[in-house]
Amino acid sequence: MPKSDSDILFSISSAHITMETKLGLKVSGRCAVTFKTMSGSVFYEMEQDLRRFMDTLRPEFDLAFRAVTDQYGYLWVILEGSRIEDLLAGLTAASGIVEEKGFSDQLLAAVFEFRSERKSGGHSYLIYNFKRNNFYPFVPLDQKSRDTEEEMKIMSAVGEEIPFERDMGLWYPMWDLPLRSLV
Amino acid sequence: MYVFEKKKPWQKRDSGLTARIVVSFLVLTILYLVFMTVLVYIGLDFISIAAIASIMILLQWYFSDKIVLWSTGAKVVTKEQFPELHELVERIVARNGLPKPRIAVVNSRMPNAFATGKSPKSSIVAVTTGLMEELETEELEGVVAHELAHIKNRDVLVLTLASLFSTVAWYLMRFGFYGGGYGGRNRNSAGGVVLVMIVAIVTWFVSFLIIRAISRYREFVADRDGALMTGKPTKLANALLKISGTMKRIPTQDLRQVEGMNAFFIIPALSGDSFSSLFSTHPPVQQRVQKLMEMEAAMS
Repeated sequence: MPKSDSDILFSISSAHITMETKLGLKVSGRCAVTFKTMSGSVFYEMEQDLRRFMDTLRPEFDLAFRAVTDQYGYLWVILEGSRIEDLLAGLTAASGIVEEKGFSDQLLAAVFEFRSERKSGGHSYLIYNFKRNNFYPFVPLDQKSRDTEEEMKIMSAVGEEIPFERDMGLWYPMWDLPLRSLV
Repeated sequence: MYVFEKKKPWQKRDSGLTARIVVSFLVLTILYLVFMTVLVYIGLDFISIAAIASIMILLQWYFSDKIVLWSTGAKVVTKEQFPELHELVERIVARNGLPKPRIAVVNSRMPNAFATGKSPKSSIVAVTTGLMEELETEELEGVVAHELAHIKNRDVLVLTLASLFSTVAWYLMRFGFYGGGYGGRNRNSAGGVVLVMIVAIVTWFVSFLIIRAISRYREFVADRDGALMTGKPTKLANALLKISGTMKRIPTQDLRQVEGMNAFFIIPALSGDSFSSLFSTHPPVQQRVQKLMEMEAAMS
């Protein structure tokens, strides 16, 4: 039986320890799920449901949450919190609502942000692709270039531990992630 | 570079170096087998055939580097012609106490490298012009160190011996059948011939797979030893990714832009992978990169 998205997403709860011990990459406390917006009242209702639900989560889980629409027409639900378990709970709850209302095809990706203890300023990401049900690394250097070497290191560190995209031809970047504009 | 400027026609010949070497040796092996079969057919005794066979194997061994150079179009170059390449090799051999090999260059745009030679002292390291263009210095160092590791580990000898054993096994088996077959020749000669054919093919096929497996193992060892020589496993990993074209396959286009193009419904042909990997001389690049990255992690 194939694993559900939330099962796979939860594999981060152990993999982030490997990321930290092997590569010095710490969970930054930010993660996000993104899906393509649609016009229509059903979608609008779902979006309102989602916002309400996230508001109720806030006191219970110690999570800050924000929704942003980017230039590609994707809605980002961005979560910020200190505990990885809370972040994961919030993330799977959010994607769960989207799926429940019949918009699972709209779900694109979940993104986990890591910051390097060794290099200052740089961020590394694990991107979960909902269509492929697996993760791949993304380490942006600047506007349009990426640190392939660092991405390889991430693959060698957690490639066996979590479902991983083996085809590097599918490691699509996500430039200008809206995660950092929170604060 | 001057040496190659006149040779415009084969600049276009970009077919794989390995393919050319394999074809050359394959043709030689077939010729050799045909010749041996003729000797058996005209009824020479076992001892003289064994003597002729070993002389031929020795000759092939003796000329192996010439055959490799000739089949790849590699030209040995002097320090005056390629000073930077020579200095790069000198740096690695000096640091690791190895004898300096001769250096050859193949005028091909395909990035590739190989090593050949009977002993560490008489060996040759060859690189293509494409390799020098595409790789950064540290990556080129990684590849050259990998080839030097092949030389240090005497991999040419190991593989030649391995193929020699398969040839010897083949002949012993054939003689076994012929020797035992004389008495009962009239009884079941047709069935006997078929049986000999089948056993011969199986013998050949098994030894073929074994040689491939040894070769793949030696590649991993050369990766490891080469990376130890330079101390920079990631640079060799990068070079492997560039040479194999994997680096170019890592996309720069945004996921949100390609999402509508159904890019994710293309199922990669994974099912054929384990089958074809049995036959290949080199392990898959991703596996090699993975091992190098693990080394890097252990070193840092």
